[in-house]
Amino acid sequence: MTHPWKEELNKLLLQGASYADVRYTPREDSAALVMRNGNLLAFSAGGERGFGVRVLYQGAWGFAASSDLGSITATFARALDNAKSTARRLSRPIRLADKQVHTGRFTSPCLVDPAQVPYDEQVAFLRRVDTALQQTGVEQRMIFLRTQSRLTEYYDTQGAQIVKEIREIFPYLGIQGRDGDGETQSRRYSPPRLGSTRGWEIMQADFFEEQAARMVRELNETLAAPKCPSDVRSVILMPDIMYLQVHETIGHPLELDRILGYELSYAGGSFVRLSDFGALRYGTDKLTVRADATMENSPGSFGYDDDGVEAQNNLLIKDGILVGAITSRQMVTEANDKMGREYFKGSGGTARASSFRRTPLERMTNISVDPGTDGTLEDIIAKTEKGIVLSGDKSWSIGSNREQFHFANHYGYLVEDGQKKGVVRSCAYSGETLPFYNSLAMVGDERTWQVEFVPNCGKGMPSQTMQLGHGVPVCRFDNVKVGE
Amino acid sequence: MLQQMKETLLALREYALERNLQAQLSLHREDSHLTRLANGSVSLNTTESVTSLSVTAYGDRRTATATLVCGLKDLDMMRQAVDRAAAMLPHASRLSFQPTLPSIPADSTCETGYDAALAQLGSAGILDYISDAAAGLEDEDLTLGGSFSVGGTAWCTLSTATPHSVSWRLSDAQITLVLASAKNKWEINAEQSAQSLDDLDPKAMRRHLAFLKEQYLTREAVRLPLGPVRVVFGAAATAEYLSYLSYLGLDGSAMKQGNSIHREEDIGQRTLSHKITVTEGPDCPGAFALPTDDFGRSRGTAAWYDKGVLRGFIWDQGAADEYAQTPTGHNLAHHSFALQPGDMAVNDLQALAAAPRDTDILYVPYLHYTGVVSPSEGLITGTSRFGALLLKKDGAIQVPYNVRFTEKLEDIFGGKLLWLSSESTVYNTSSTYGSRNPSALRVPRLMCCDQINVEISNKSY
Repeated sequence: MTHPWKEELNKLLLQGASYADVRYTPREDSAALVMRNGNLLAFSAGGERGFGVRVLYQGAWGFAASSDLGSITATFARALDNAKSTARRLSRPIRLADKQVHTGRFTSPCLVDPAQVPYDEQVAFLRRVDTALQQTGVEQRMIFLRTQSRLTEYYDTQGAQIVKEIREIFPYLGIQGRDGDGETQSRRYSPPRLGSTRGWEIMQADFFEEQAARMVRELNETLAAPKCPSDVRSVILMPDIMYLQVHETIGHPLELDRILGYELSYAGGSFVRLSDFGALRYGTDKLTVRADATMENSPGSFGYDDDGVEAQNNLLIKDGILVGAITSRQMVTEANDKMGREYFKGSGGTARASSFRRTPLERMTNISVDPGTDGTLEDIIAKTEKGIVLSGDKSWSIGSNREQFHFANHYGYLVEDGQKKGVVRSCAYSGETLPFYNSLAMVGDERTWQVEFVPNCGKGMPSQTMQLGHGVPVCRFDNVKVGE
Repeated sequence: MLQQMKETLLALREYALERNLQAQLSLHREDSHLTRLANGSVSLNTTESVTSLSVTAYGDRRTATATLVCGLKDLDMMRQAVDRAAAMLPHASRLSFQPTLPSIPADSTCETGYDAALAQLGSAGILDYISDAAAGLEDEDLTLGGSFSVGGTAWCTLSTATPHSVSWRLSDAQITLVLASAKNKWEINAEQSAQSLDDLDPKAMRRHLAFLKEQYLTREAVRLPLGPVRVVFGAAATAEYLSYLSYLGLDGSAMKQGNSIHREEDIGQRTLSHKITVTEGPDCPGAFALPTDDFGRSRGTAAWYDKGVLRGFIWDQGAADEYAQTPTGHNLAHHSFALQPGDMAVNDLQALAAAPRDTDILYVPYLHYTGVVSPSEGLITGTSRFGALLLKKDGAIQVPYNVRFTEKLEDIFGGKLLWLSSESTVYNTSSTYGSRNPSALRVPRLMCCDQINVEISNKSY
């Protein structure tokens, strides 16, 4: 069926709008399978369609969305009305940075569409992995598989026409047991990037069975271990926690809308000020971080953002100095105005919306730490006098300006005089963001670097859940407070 | 609206029965309006009209669910969702228990919580409220942020077992206004929850913001020392802890999975302070309480913690089926928990600030981004935010930078609890991540705990 998107957009221009875009999702298919202790508790498939219209009128945004394709004209009119109402309380009219107008298509790399895999095969996969997890010491087993396939058409009044077809697959394994004090200990696994595509082809049962065996071994080591000491020492973060450290204390605080105060009422602000760009020493010179939406095969790579801007690879931190931010068309003009110079040369192409019914926001793409020159995990351990190796994202809590943090981990073992020592349980560490990154002492090389996927980054009002990635190496930070 | 939804579901029920399918069929409809503010301006004004169908097919020890977001009149698409659930069902692996298909004994419709005047407030009404609430408070440095979410939610569910349905319609508003200093990077806030238009009180919001603004502009800013401090939590912070307690303490499934602070043998035992009574049920004003669950069970209000004694665990039908328990009437879109008030006649921040005290008190209205460090220990970490004050024992007031606590629920609601306010208030806990689903907790206006350990103390705002 053909819908009159361009005609409706042109009508908005005739009614005084300076810009408008529409995102139409003719089809979104999703599925979720949840198996707990062998019981398939959730076996669901979802379908969705609808459209969302964004209008800029006299410098004010209005947005309206509907799942009813019989209400297209009314919904476009509602979006314009919303923009007109907004103009009543507007201290700074919105200007969008210039962009190149694209006609294009992006398809995420996928060999086997999960939606085409027979249900029996999907369920059998879960059952096989569940069997691998069903071992001594394991009291609770959880396997979760979520797949999503979304087709989105984007049109705007500048002439852009973009089609995106993105497929995602997010498997997750979790196990729990009780330690000698009766407290619950857990181990989880979500695979990092496993190749150049991410369809059903990544669901190799042998590989997941190997991971299950490792999880069971590590859980049992944890259950029998003494408690993590509470002291100050070096922490060596494995990629499956380093990604979250980067996510929460580099990614979020460098979202330009946060820095400009757009998230203050809910998600929070940022300790970063506009005057910090080009000057702030965020970390040691071993720290280089980039927002790379062009990375091969990651949920943080999408071809074009929801402003219609092409995906980019931009530096955020270079040799420890803050140089860039996660930006969109709207925020860079406001930031440049407030800085009194054109620091941001254009949109960084990070405006993303989680569905047709949400508006685009600055979102992380692939926020990645460049690999270093300090070798492998073993090399780093060998050069550590008093430390702890930490793995797993058990819990996280961050200050409202991302200035401090507390993370708990599933698995850890001590390091003394360059040697691996015993496993400890109930591991956690905390700190302040800038002192922490300025204690970055060692960065592992390419052999330790992997791309971790994030399926559920939350932000915004109305709230949105976004998928993205982080390429991270093993890193060592010194003088960190350890313990619950 | 509810009638149209029920007729649609009855048509789908007929379709399912023609195919010998046992199924639960549910429709959710939301008409939402959200106005967002930042830096003194409206940054977004959005409306969303979305209809969602859920079809869960039941078979011999198995279920399968198909969901669909579409138009309310898209009956052909909805029939395809029924077909999809039916097609999936044979492929679901057998469960170790038989899931119970709802068999609703009689129609239940509740619209008493719906006020069209609130649900359809519109942009003009929202902006009028914001203007009143912020009147005279902004200047070149201090600008308004926040969000005003308002709308209506309609729900109807039935099954192939009977033609009866459970349906309800609610209006709600969740308002947060933030006054932020661009120069000093502090933020203060005021929040309000509404179920009807009469609940909106912009003047109360303004009073609260004005009081905090005065403190933040005139009082000395301080970095707190690490270590124990007496804390008075505001409603938002108390609701945050209560929300964790309702799950980590009372959810039967969490208990069975080792993610609870309790075990079965704790029933009948005093596990928390005798000052703690937590109820859940339809007698919870302002908390969007539902009189009937999705199985058609009439609900009553019960004390789950009664003067600190654990009275039982909450079991929805699915958990009850899985763990061979008796369901407690909690197949609901949302719960309505209340922490009953105490006996301290200090019921707002101004009264607290004016009251004599023999030690310093840290007032923490709000906790930001809390995390569960250990579920079985009930260990929660989080950071203060939005308008904390240090009330010195000599009567002076200072403005503290934010601090981090990591505390156990059994201490917060147990040995460390000193007093609860004599009045309660409703705190809106609605999330906008998924479909609209208004929810709120009723909590004492203030809760005082001693020996709360400051483990990180920020050096600046």
